[in-house]
Amino acid sequence: MKSMDNEFCASALKNTLDEMQRICPEIKATFVLDQNRKLIARGVNTPENTLPRALEVFDEVLEKAEAIGGVEALTVQGTDGRLSISYVDEVYLVTVTSKKADLNYVNTVTRVLVPTVLKLVEKIGSASIKRDMPTTEPELEAPAEVIEEPKASLVEETEPEKDEKEAEPEQKLDTTFTEPPVNQFIAEEIKGLLVSSDTVRIDNSVIEQWKELYEGREIEEADVETFAGKSLRCKVKPIKDGKFEGQGKIQLPNKLLLVLDIKKGELVRVKPAIE
Amino acid sequence: MVKKRKEAVEVTAPQEAVAIESSTCDDKLRENLEEIKNYDGVVGYILRNTTSASIDLKEPAKIVDYATLSSTAFAAAEELSRLFEFGDVKDIVVDGKNLKMLSLAVDENKISVFMENNADVEKVLKKLENV
Repeated sequence: MKSMDNEFCASALKNTLDEMQRICPEIKATFVLDQNRKLIARGVNTPENTLPRALEVFDEVLEKAEAIGGVEALTVQGTDGRLSISYVDEVYLVTVTSKKADLNYVNTVTRVLVPTVLKLVEKIGSASIKRDMPTTEPELEAPAEVIEEPKASLVEETEPEKDEKEAEPEQKLDTTFTEPPVNQFIAEEIKGLLVSSDTVRIDNSVIEQWKELYEGREIEEADVETFAGKSLRCKVKPIKDGKFEGQGKIQLPNKLLLVLDIKKGELVRVKPAIE
Repeated sequence: MVKKRKEAVEVTAPQEAVAIESSTCDDKLRENLEEIKNYDGVVGYILRNTTSASIDLKEPAKIVDYATLSSTAFAAAEELSRLFEFGDVKDIVVDGKNLKMLSLAVDENKISVFMENNADVEKVLKKLENV
């Protein structure tokens, strides 16, 4: 969910819920909430007027259920049907079925279709990012390039021009809620006894930019993606050695170079992992 | 005279003062709950009716949180049943990451049983429905 376009996701989910209600008429109502318990989509036969109150009720239960670690699933069995909520791939799927419903069938439909669509939407989302990338082979000597972030913001870190700094957050907010910023770096191997095998190191200024974009949230992980399509989520920390600062390099331990199947000098894309 | 359990704790549920009271609870129900308490993975229960509540939980520090969750779940289930018209509420199962809760009403009594995720909900449910 994190990297997908919300509108596209909502539309895909809406179609899925509609289809679920069509092939399974015993599903009287179905809708999907995001992690913040906001409605993303509802099925065609789901009564709209009931939803605002239902959302309030869910909100209350889900909040109180923190006492048992948060809700993964909830079922209310009634004499004429049942309501169930399941937490699937970072969304809450709610279904209300009639008494006649074949629960195995309903569960098969809901628990297979929705996660599949969510995964598909996420894949399509990341594929569209790839399509937006330049198709020409990037030069190895090319300096790190911020794709979705104006490069000027790097300079602003060192030049405390008040006006520019004040104007900056607004620009950044627009990008924050669409896609995480993608930066390109040149891979560099990091060696040493104390090198952590699951951590990459990049310019601190980039990490600081990400933190600013996400309103001070600690960025502890990043997704590293090669141009061959391999990607990996790993811990991210600032480069320690000052001489590598500002060179657009990413330091990776040998193990991660092998996993990503890249060599020193190759370009990779890096974006913050925001949950 | 019914012996008071040492783990039993008096609680005050939201908007409804409740006190420890065992004599008003159905004996059979209490007996079954005592048996359920010894099932694998069961960590305790809350039994409530209009005038009293009996709580037996292994984690006393969580009593208020669990009691609030229990009463919220009952109220929410009633409201959702009204909104989506799925009839009278028979039982509620909330699966949490750490624990799960089974709630149901037996006559005037509202029961919530808390158990670990690997516990057998169906077995508990059958036992309670057999009252």
